[in-house]
Formats: sequence, structure tokens, C-alpha cells
Amino acid sequence: MILLDKVTKRYGRRAAVAGLSLKVRDGAAFGFLGQNGAGKTTTMKMIVGLAAPDNGRIEIGGKPATDIAMRADLGYMPEAPYFYERLTGAEFLRFCAELFGKELSGEACDKLLARVGLQAASDKAIGAYSKGMKQRLGFAQALVNDPEYVLLDEPLDGLDPIGRKEIKNIIRGLRAAGNTVFFNSHILYDTEELCDEIGILHEGRLAYSGPVREFCAGRPLEERFVEVVEGLAQKR
Amino acid sequence: MGKILTIAKHTFREAARDRVLYGLLAFAVIFIFLDLFFAKLSLGDLVMIKSFGLAGIYLFGLIITVFLGASIIQKEIERRTLYFVLSKPVSRAELVLGKFLGLLAAILLTIALMAAIYLAVVAIEGGGLDLLGLAAIGFQMLEMTLLTALLVFFSSIVSPLTATICSTLLLFAGHLLPTVLNNAKIIGGGAYKLVIFLYYLLPNLAKFDMRELAAHAISIPGQSVLYAVLYAVAYTAALLLLAVECFKRREL
Repeated sequence: MILLDKVTKRYGRRAAVAGLSLKVRDGAAFGFLGQNGAGKTTTMKMIVGLAAPDNGRIEIGGKPATDIAMRADLGYMPEAPYFYERLTGAEFLRFCAELFGKELSGEACDKLLARVGLQAASDKAIGAYSKGMKQRLGFAQALVNDPEYVLLDEPLDGLDPIGRKEIKNIIRGLRAAGNTVFFNSHILYDTEELCDEIGILHEGRLAYSGPVREFCAGRPLEERFVEVVEGLAQKR
Repeated sequence: MGKILTIAKHTFREAARDRVLYGLLAFAVIFIFLDLFFAKLSLGDLVMIKSFGLAGIYLFGLIITVFLGASIIQKEIERRTLYFVLSKPVSRAELVLGKFLGLLAAILLTIALMAAIYLAVVAIEGGGLDLLGLAAIGFQMLEMTLLTALLVFFSSIVSPLTATICSTLLLFAGHLLPTVLNNAKIIGGGAYKLVIFLYYLLPNLAKFDMRELAAHAISIPGQSVLYAVLYAVAYTAALLLLAVECFKRREL
């Protein structure tokens, strides 16, 4: 389970995340939604240990997020990832695997690259990759350690329809295999399709957390999301 | 240690694929080969040949070190490539040490390459195997080790431009320290106390300058070698510890 208990993160005077409490059960596909600047990326960075909360606690599988060893069970894809452009895709994946203390065989590397549709570009310098190819590589490195918890920040951003279909299929596969998938997305159509649960963050506070169907109540997710967020904005 | 070496290997590979580095190395090689031309002008004066060659290695070693080191951590923060590394079971200390070792390996390798060319040039001009020159280059490597740690430290807290300026100023001050201390001793009073404080605080890089001795074939005392090694190791370790502590406090 991913557990956030009264988590607060401030940047100067501004609270990017304010008293956020959230539970994501094991094996769930959880979509984390919110407007730009709502605090989604900050939350994800705290979960994976890139940022430390000012208050509150975060646990993953019962272990505190501050425990470096916990990250062995974690796969993380940052938003709009930047890469070491002089490395090839295969070299980058091997480097990532080595950071987990694992040796990635040529066959395993090819398999992983093929999984995200990059096999043909494995020996090409990342600098020559297109935006979509980089997005796929970012996804591949999040799977290099066969993680139990997969956290994806805007995984479908910048992908063409075929790429989106492929990545969505992988997410479905992960979910079917019992992995916990937690992702931020602006593409609500895909979120609705992939997730069984969602959380909505508005100005650093949790506005909703629960089953996506319950939230939508027969209406499209996008419509309900806009309604809720606009309602919150009017209240302020 | 495994993760530190993985990051070091990766950093070295990234540096080794930098085209600008090859451009700088090419200039360095041309500069050292110019020694052959100066040898003709100076009628084969070995002091001139050695001084010119060792100065070239120092100058280009310095440029390469600052070029590769000034943005070593900051660049990764700005480009967010660190997210890939630090979201894995890697501590910030391992990252800083790995970056330092990989960068240092790349810098020492380039100096070793220039040294090989220098030795060949001196041998061609009838100077035989210049062991003293080699020792002076060894001292330069110690200085570059310290400078690399300084750059890693600055790069963990400030922008590449600021890191370059701060390191260059400290480099300049570090070579002037003994002279300034001697002058301050004559003046005395508060100025002397301030200079004494700075003398012990700032890196004393004059300890690593053995080029003149080597050029004039004056042997380097064994005590200087031991002292320089211990000084470089201690100062580098202190800078790296500081870099790790500063980097741990950085928001990514």
C-alpha cells in the first residue's frame, strides 16, 4: 500500500501540498489528477524520495519513503524526462539496472526495449531520439527492476496514438500482474479507461479519493472533473 | 561502493563522449608539439622545452577540469536527469562521490595522454626519460584532484558560471597564498592574522607547483611529495564531505 499521512510540502510561503492523506491499495491502478500546479508532481517526488515532506509521513509497502532500500521495489518515470543524450538506449537501461545492483543481459535489455517499441533504436544515441521515443525509454527504465510499485508522471504525454495504445497496454499488463500503478495524467479519457481509483488534488489539498466509477456516476470523467474543480475554485 | 563505481563509470563515459573535450585535447596536443618548434628556436635548450611543455599540460589540464567540472552536479539538477538516479536505491552521497570519481578519472586520463606526448617530445630533443617532469605532472594531478573536488562542491550549490568564477578565484588565490603570507608577515598586525586564517582555510595550491624545479632538473624532496599527497587527500575529502552535506539539503 502507498500511504500518505497528513503530508505537507512548502516552497517558501506557498504550500505545494497541504495536509494530504491518501491510501492506494496494492494492485490498484490509481490516477492522480489535478490542474497544473495542483501539487501532483511534488507529491510523486515525495513518494519516490526526491523531495522530503515538511510534515507528515509517507510509506510504501509498510516502509518509510525515506528508506533508500525501499526504492528497490519502485519504478519511477519523471514528467517530460531528460536523458544522458550521449548514451544509447541500451546503455542507459544497463546503467539504470546497475543502480539496482542488477546486471541487465543483452537479451533482457532487448526484451525491455521491445516491450516499449524501441528495439530498433537500442544502439542509437538518445540525443537522436524523438520526444515520443524518449517517453518510451523513460517508461522502460521504470520497469528495469521489475518493480512492485510503478509511479508514472504524465506517462502518455507526447506519445502518438500508437504509442499511447502500447503504453496503455503495458499499464494494463502491470495491473493484471498485480503491480500497483500510480500515475499523474492530464489525459482524463485514458485515466478513466485505465484506473479503478482516482485522487483529485486541488491547490495541494485532496478533493476526492475513491473509485473512478463512483466519482463519474455515469458521466465522462473529464466532465465531472471540470465540474468539481470549477466548483472548488468558485468556493474560494 | 558498487553504485558509486556505476555512477563513476557512467560519468566517465559521458565525459569521454564530449566533443568539446576532444577539441580541447587537440589544442593541447598541438601546443605540446609546438615545443619541437621552440626547441629549434632555443637551440635545444631543455629548460625552455620542459617549461613550455609542462606549462601547456597545466594550462590545458586546468581548462579541461573547469570545463568538465563546473556543471557536473548543477547540470543534472537543471536537466532533471538526477531524477532517474535518485529515485533508485542510490543515496545523494553515492551520487556525489560517483560523479567526482568519474570526472576525476576522465581528467587524469587526459593529463596522462598529454604527459605521454610531453615525454616523447622531451626524449626526441635528447632529454631522455624526464622523470622529474613526470613527478611535476603527478603533483599537477594532485592539484587537479583538489580542484575537481572544489568544482563538485561549488556545482552542488551554485550555477556553472558561479562555480567557474569561484573556483578560478580560489585557484588564483591558492597559488598566491605563500607570497601573500610573506608580505603580510612584514606588515604584521590584523592583516597578518587575517592572512594566516585564509592561508589555512583556502587551498594552498602552491604546494603542487613543481614545474620550475622539474624544468631546471632540481630534485623534488620526498617530504614535499608526502606532504602534498596528504594535503590533497585531506582537503579533497573535506570538500567532498561539504559537497555531500550541501547536496543533501538541495531541493530537486
